[in-house]
Amino acid sequence: MSSSAALRSFEALWRARTPDPLATLRGEAMRRVVADGLPTTRDESWRYTNLRMLSAQSFDDAPAPAADAAARVLSLSSLAGAGCAPSIAIVNGYPLLGDRQNQEEFADGSMEITNLRTLAARDAEALMRRFAASADSDRRRWALLNTALFIDGLHVKIKGAAAPLLIVHMSEAGRPNTAAHSRVIIDLEPGASATIIEHHIAGGEHGVLCNSAAEIALAPGAAIEHYRVFATMNSTTHFDTLDVRMAKDSRCREYTIAIGGGLVRATLEAHLDEPGAALDSQTLLAGTDARHVDCVNTAIHAARMTTSRQTARAIAGGTSRVIFNSKVIVNEGAAGADSRQSSRGLLLAPTAEIDTRPQLQIHADEVKCAHGATVGRLDPDMLFYLLSRGLDRATAQSLLVFAFLDDVLTGMSSAPARHAIETALIALLPDAELLRAFR
Amino acid sequence: MLKISNLSARVAGKTILNGVDLEVGDGEVHAIMGPNGSGKSTLAQVLAGREEYEVTGGSVTFDGRDLLALRPEERARAGLFLGFQYPVEIPGVNNVYLLKAALNAKRKAEGQPEVDAYEFLALIKRKMKFMQMSEAFLTRGVNEGFSGGEKKRNEILQMLVLEPKLAVLDETDSGLDIDALKVVANGVNSLRDANRSIVLITHYQRLLDHITPDRVHVFAAGRIQRSGDKTLALELEEHGYDRAREGRVA
Repeated sequence: MSSSAALRSFEALWRARTPDPLATLRGEAMRRVVADGLPTTRDESWRYTNLRMLSAQSFDDAPAPAADAAARVLSLSSLAGAGCAPSIAIVNGYPLLGDRQNQEEFADGSMEITNLRTLAARDAEALMRRFAASADSDRRRWALLNTALFIDGLHVKIKGAAAPLLIVHMSEAGRPNTAAHSRVIIDLEPGASATIIEHHIAGGEHGVLCNSAAEIALAPGAAIEHYRVFATMNSTTHFDTLDVRMAKDSRCREYTIAIGGGLVRATLEAHLDEPGAALDSQTLLAGTDARHVDCVNTAIHAARMTTSRQTARAIAGGTSRVIFNSKVIVNEGAAGADSRQSSRGLLLAPTAEIDTRPQLQIHADEVKCAHGATVGRLDPDMLFYLLSRGLDRATAQSLLVFAFLDDVLTGMSSAPARHAIETALIALLPDAELLRAFR
Repeated sequence: MLKISNLSARVAGKTILNGVDLEVGDGEVHAIMGPNGSGKSTLAQVLAGREEYEVTGGSVTFDGRDLLALRPEERARAGLFLGFQYPVEIPGVNNVYLLKAALNAKRKAEGQPEVDAYEFLALIKRKMKFMQMSEAFLTRGVNEGFSGGEKKRNEILQMLVLEPKLAVLDETDSGLDIDALKVVANGVNSLRDANRSIVLITHYQRLLDHITPDRVHVFAAGRIQRSGDKTLALELEEHGYDRAREGRVA
């Protein structure tokens, strides 16, 4: 595989890094990326997303933020101050904990927040094992690249019933061709529960190449509701990889919400490793303007009596392109696996495109796997009904779009998150003011 | 109120309306009766502005305006109401919010301010009680999970709130049991006044036991074949459409 300009620049950045306690792990990750090259449309899971232009460019590290940037960044998040306490800002991959690390607001004992640098210095071996558990499988090269290049990251340990936590990932740069590698690791101890919202936003003159990666590990009986909200700028390119490991009787409800960004590629890989693990993945992809949104969602049933739900609602207007591929893999011996994939797309313009494909790989007997996928336009009967009651066409269309997305929105147990996401969605649609009155 | 002259329309290349003439005066109630497939529902849809139907000839004047030149939403705001034969379910769009938006669209067109939220809720509750509808409908999506009868009541509820000048009710009586039929008929009758006109499209005489029409028309083969007073409905009931169609055009 011939190396691209982008990859060469990433390799040069890696070589220039001061070796840290994770150097072996990082070197191995870089070696694998270099061996495989950045993804191209020849890779099956990348067939709809062409990175040729991006691969031809060189990237530098996005700048380190000012130490006091946290307050400013948090004020930019529409989700901040909406019932999420505490909130943490990560700017261009740098967590801005300041003196808040291990501070009293986390001191009810339910949550422990540390940056990865501190953790690496304290116990590199343990951290290496944590990475090894999740980075073993595949050709997820952006996540590997993140491992090679992340400067710092966040470790969140949930030890009890924790209050909702907001993590705001901000990317901003005053010059073009910069990249940031945000890293978050979330561990839930047995029986612990949490709601964690990761809000990706952007500012500055030039869009940053955001390469974020997160890992969630759920111990037996733990439960998480996790949100990934992509609300960056049209000039932002975003690769996000989420890896979820689920032990016995753990539950994960995962929301992937794409409402911004020029190119967004979001990957979820959930490993249902022990009996009773239950995944409920809800995806809402909004394509407007010339946005390109590509979501790949995989549930791996690796144990008996595991349950997965993958629900996706995609809208596409303008010249946008939205891709949603969901996959269920039932390993040998995972009898009693129960999966359901439901994917629906709504085209709002003849120039937009939606591609969706539910896939199943079943290697066990006695499993229950259902799937359905549809892509269509607004129902003319519904539209005419609303028009015949005197509603403007734009309002009627917006209402129907919202109604279409309602399945995903109504399930959100975090009211502030739901409200903020609705508000952001409404802003994308015509006749926003009236729609607001409807919610 | 409404004057239809030599109206023709087709859908997917097939002519459905074939020279309809009808005049409905202020305050009048007209019943249009006819066999299945005669074009009655098409007439209702064309009047409301359904785009799938192509008007190929004729004219329609509503309240002094050229109805065919208006978009569906403009027709509604001008005071035309279509009660659908099969009201569509719209999950995710709240029933009451739709009503409020509809009422405000009409008020805006009339140069009135938006309806006060509390007044509106009180109005809705009053009308729902009159239509013997459970307040549970307040929180549901438009027609979502409603039975056939509940959907028809909901259509009449909307009509009562919007107080149109002209209501075209397309087989509002079909699928209703006797009690529901009375409730619906009461709803329609409550709206009758000297400035409001109603066109009832129906298969059956039984609705006309509860709503007395001023005129009855026999609709067949895409046009009105015969017109008369309320006794024509009884004649139809007794002898069927074929015989009635043969009668002299009144």
